[in-house]
Amino acid sequence: MTSLVSLIRRINDRLAIGVGLILLACVVFTLLEIVTRRLGGSLGGVDEISGYVMAVTTSWGISYALTEQAHVRIDLLRQRLVPFGRAVFDIISLLCLSGTAIVVAWRGWAVLEKTLSTGARANTPLETPLWIPQSLWWAGWVWFAVSASILLVSVLVKFLSSDYQSVDDIAGARGEA
Amino acid sequence: MIAFTSVGLLGLLTLSIPVGIVLFLLAFGIDTFFSPFPLMRGLGQVVWSSSNSATLIAIPLFVLLGEILVRSGVARRTYTALEKWVAWMPGGLIHANIATSTMFSATSGSSVATAATVATVAMPQAKALGYNQKLFSGAIAAGGTLGIMIPPSINLIVYGFLTESSIPQLFLAGLVPGLLLAALFMMITVVICIFKPSLGGPRQSSSLGEKLEGLTDLLPILGLFGAIVGSIYAGWATPTEAATVGVAIALLIAAHQKALNWEMLSKALRGSVKTSAMIMLVVIGAYVLNFALTAAGVSRALQNVLNGLGLGPLETLLVIILIYIILGFFIETLSLMVATIPIVVPIIVQLGYDKIWFGILMIILVEMALITPPVGLNLYVVQAARKSGSFSDVMLGCIPYALAMLAMVGLLILLPQLALFLPSTL
Repeated sequence: MTSLVSLIRRINDRLAIGVGLILLACVVFTLLEIVTRRLGGSLGGVDEISGYVMAVTTSWGISYALTEQAHVRIDLLRQRLVPFGRAVFDIISLLCLSGTAIVVAWRGWAVLEKTLSTGARANTPLETPLWIPQSLWWAGWVWFAVSASILLVSVLVKFLSSDYQSVDDIAGARGEA
Repeated sequence: MIAFTSVGLLGLLTLSIPVGIVLFLLAFGIDTFFSPFPLMRGLGQVVWSSSNSATLIAIPLFVLLGEILVRSGVARRTYTALEKWVAWMPGGLIHANIATSTMFSATSGSSVATAATVATVAMPQAKALGYNQKLFSGAIAAGGTLGIMIPPSINLIVYGFLTESSIPQLFLAGLVPGLLLAALFMMITVVICIFKPSLGGPRQSSSLGEKLEGLTDLLPILGLFGAIVGSIYAGWATPTEAATVGVAIALLIAAHQKALNWEMLSKALRGSVKTSAMIMLVVIGAYVLNFALTAAGVSRALQNVLNGLGLGPLETLLVIILIYIILGFFIETLSLMVATIPIVVPIIVQLGYDKIWFGILMIILVEMALITPPVGLNLYVVQAARKSGSFSDVMLGCIPYALAMLAMVGLLILLPQLALFLPSTL
């Protein structure tokens, strides 16, 4: 179980770098656009592509923030509890988080499915086929749901064997970033 | 329904469920219990359209910019240079803390990053020179909060996005109150140190030559600020595009300092993805909750309640401010802003107040939340950098600056033009 969690951590780490590099590519593209515009031309579509990059950065980044325990939690009450109580709070949190992730991934499919069935394109000069950014975005949420569920199962296993320290290592609250 | 939302919000937050998820859960609850038609069928579309945004990409970019700067050693040089300019005043280095925070907040979009940076640079000096730790660390914690006021500010981007107000205008509106607040911080330091010199430390004077020499160390950060803000107001670039310009310049600065390598860059990228994903989960949650609240008519219900109280606009505003101050003891900046914007801003607008002006007022209130215990993030950041001494030192040291913030809130209510003058003229 522990090795599965560390595998997810490693994957998310690589994903974060990948997403970061896409962000940098977007920086370069935007800079080129600013320069071109000064010269009187335009590459076109910078705003549209930045929007897609943001949607993808977000949906893939949230799993990384999850495994890095970076999602903000108010742990005023939690930090006053004994390890058992803290573990219960961490499990409730992770349960709510996985549930929400699954609902968003499920409802997100409806968006992608509609795009696929109608072949919708963006209402812009680029006429981007929307299934491309949307499937990348949707896959991010699915991965978030998968990561969260795996963490939840591992945490439950640790909890049942009274290993509260490991519960904290996987799902405890860390200082807000 | 109002009781459900507020009790639910506080209850779920106390359970330490992640803030973004709490907002989602509340939206699900409103949909199940109060909405006449199923709202959550549209959930996917709401999540997609809230994150598919060329405006919000400014958030990861400004975070990245701050990450690169922090890792390139610019902070130390800035501090040393500013010290030569301001440490002659009563209070000495404390002014350098405030001035460095002001400069850094002008380039990095985050308060915590600003406080952490200044604390790491300044704390060793305070110990070496025998400063009183209370006021010294209080100044760093409070000065760091300027990060969310002086543009570029991630919090103002989020506010603009959720309330559909112009981000360049918000940036302009934050400039004067931000600088004024920094000046108030310095004034209060001078006054305290004149009456009780033991609370400060040795003053330092530098020659004009040294001052001018220090100026070259300030150039990178001043240039960066000028490029970001200048390109927005010259109409060359949107705030998002200005953020890309900022990232490029920060990379150049890092390269010039010989700090640019793959290890540093990959750390900065990871940090940026992590922080902005954390912010975005909260923002998307707020967007979904906003959608549910509006569809279920909560804002209207709340306005009816307020109207029923028979309070005038000013009294209502004061009640809202009081609620923010109290909530600020327990909830942190972004969560506080994002969870309350959908409920509070429609009321404020209905009362006849300006959205841009209230954005700035709200920023001061959440700045205060950053330095009010028990949940005051900057207090912990500074305490972590001190590595010794008691936590209450930082807390006590912040009190004068929290009072200065209250004074600033009063000033803004009396003179809304402090915020609105620049956006209305430019």
